Amino acid sequence: MTRVMEVLIVEDEMLLAMDIEAMVEDSGHHVLAEAASLQEVKDLPEDLNPQLAFVDIHLANNSNGFDVSLYIQTHWPNAIIVFVTANVSKIPADFLGAHGVIAKPFSHAGLVNAVNYIASGMFDSPPNVPRPASLITSPRLDQRWTERAS
Amino acid sequence: MKQRDDWHLTDVLEYEHGRGDPFAAAVRATRMPMVITDPGQEDNPIVFCNVAFQELTGYSRAEIVGRNCRFLQGPETDPAGVAQVREAIATGSDIGIDLLNYRKDGTTFWNALYMSPVRDKAGKIQFFFASQMDVSDRVAAQSALNDQKEIVEREVVRRTADLRAALDAKDILLHEVDHRVKNNLTMIGSLLRLQVRTIDDPSVALKLDSMLERVDALAVVHRQLYQSSDIGRFDIGSFSENLVSDVVGSSGRSDITVDVEAQPLFVDAANASALGLIINEILTNAVKHAFDDGRSGRLSLMVSGGEDHGIIRICDDGPGMPSTKRSKSIGTALIARLAKQARAEATWHDNQPGTCVTITFPREDTRT
Repeated sequence: MTRVMEVLIVEDEMLLAMDIEAMVEDSGHHVLAEAASLQEVKDLPEDLNPQLAFVDIHLANNSNGFDVSLYIQTHWPNAIIVFVTANVSKIPADFLGAHGVIAKPFSHAGLVNAVNYIASGMFDSPPNVPRPASLITSPRLDQRWTERAS
Repeated sequence: MKQRDDWHLTDVLEYEHGRGDPFAAAVRATRMPMVITDPGQEDNPIVFCNVAFQELTGYSRAEIVGRNCRFLQGPETDPAGVAQVREAIATGSDIGIDLLNYRKDGTTFWNALYMSPVRDKAGKIQFFFASQMDVSDRVAAQSALNDQKEIVEREVVRRTADLRAALDAKDILLHEVDHRVKNNLTMIGSLLRLQVRTIDDPSVALKLDSMLERVDALAVVHRQLYQSSDIGRFDIGSFSENLVSDVVGSSGRSDITVDVEAQPLFVDAANASALGLIINEILTNAVKHAFDDGRSGRLSLMVSGGEDHGIIRICDDGPGMPSTKRSKSIGTALIARLAKQARAEATWHDNQPGTCVTITFPREDTRT
């Protein structure tokens, strides 16, 4: 069984999108697509099926990550959604159905460790590495691990 | 009816000062304006008034006796106050009230009226006794005070609104600056990381990696500061704990065991960046030099605090580094200079095997 995650990156700051892409690929995973706005996410092919999505809250064309998160949940329900934002406090307690958040400015270690943790959860379930401090998770993610394990 | 007749005797006493009923004489001579009314007669007329009352109102005795007290009222008299007096008469109870009354010449005065019924042995009301006092000065003073108070209150409301608006503007500005700092730090990190990937020379890449780690450490400091509820204090304890897991995690070295014994330890936020960078230098140094060539080992972090100082000790069980080599790296220079800035002290000693670095620094005063 392959241990490569298919990753979607939704980020309007191109530099950060490039950086996240590099870190994801360096960690042995594959970036399926990148989008800078809600519309660009909607324009993606329906059969894309990402396993992990990094979603910025503030996006291009006045769109936001919460709407992107809801779109992903309806179209690709299996995707784990992690917000990447400098505005952690704007995220509601229930994460609006998303699974976690990484605060900006993120460090190389913080992001890579989060990727490794999620990959471990996805393929080993529950994860066999400790959750890094950089990744704040919603209860939905733990639920996901236990569902997969049973 | 005898008592009632006694009251009428005061008419006679006018001609015989100081003789007869001493109480009636006192009422006649006092400077306090007084009247007596007879509710037994039609429309409760005044049956007695003293000289002070005549002087207060400007009416003569002949103009007063036989009339109801309402002749003192005028257009500006408060009808609600008059109604209270009427109610007291109807129920036969005492009343004390300030009323605006009119003199004969049309001028007004504030009348502090006190009125009470006089009953006979059977409890039946025989008379109403009323004393008056001109309290215009007191009412004017009170009214001036109220006006003044209202002016002050209006001013307070206005200034509070100004202050709140200024505070809101400051909050928005602070939020905006904070946002820009976060974005810039994120972009600097991304730029460095993208550059590192293009460098073939391992020694250059290594140096750039060190730079990147320092920027990352600053990013962690800033992130923790803005997420904290108190931006004046910085928890160096939980920062160190997070950083050690970040640094070891990013090295991909699962063969390094990490021992953490940390507690929350607050320092002045002004020293957060300096102390954060010092800890980053020590941790990254330990991972690179103590556990190089794939040597496995144990890295320990201990955070503790006394009354007025904090201690962070980072130990490895590597081969130890000769002091000559240590003094040549920029890391050591950074530690020494930043320690001076944060009024901290860094000391190295032999861990047998390995090296221990102890940082001692002043704590912010938590006893305030």
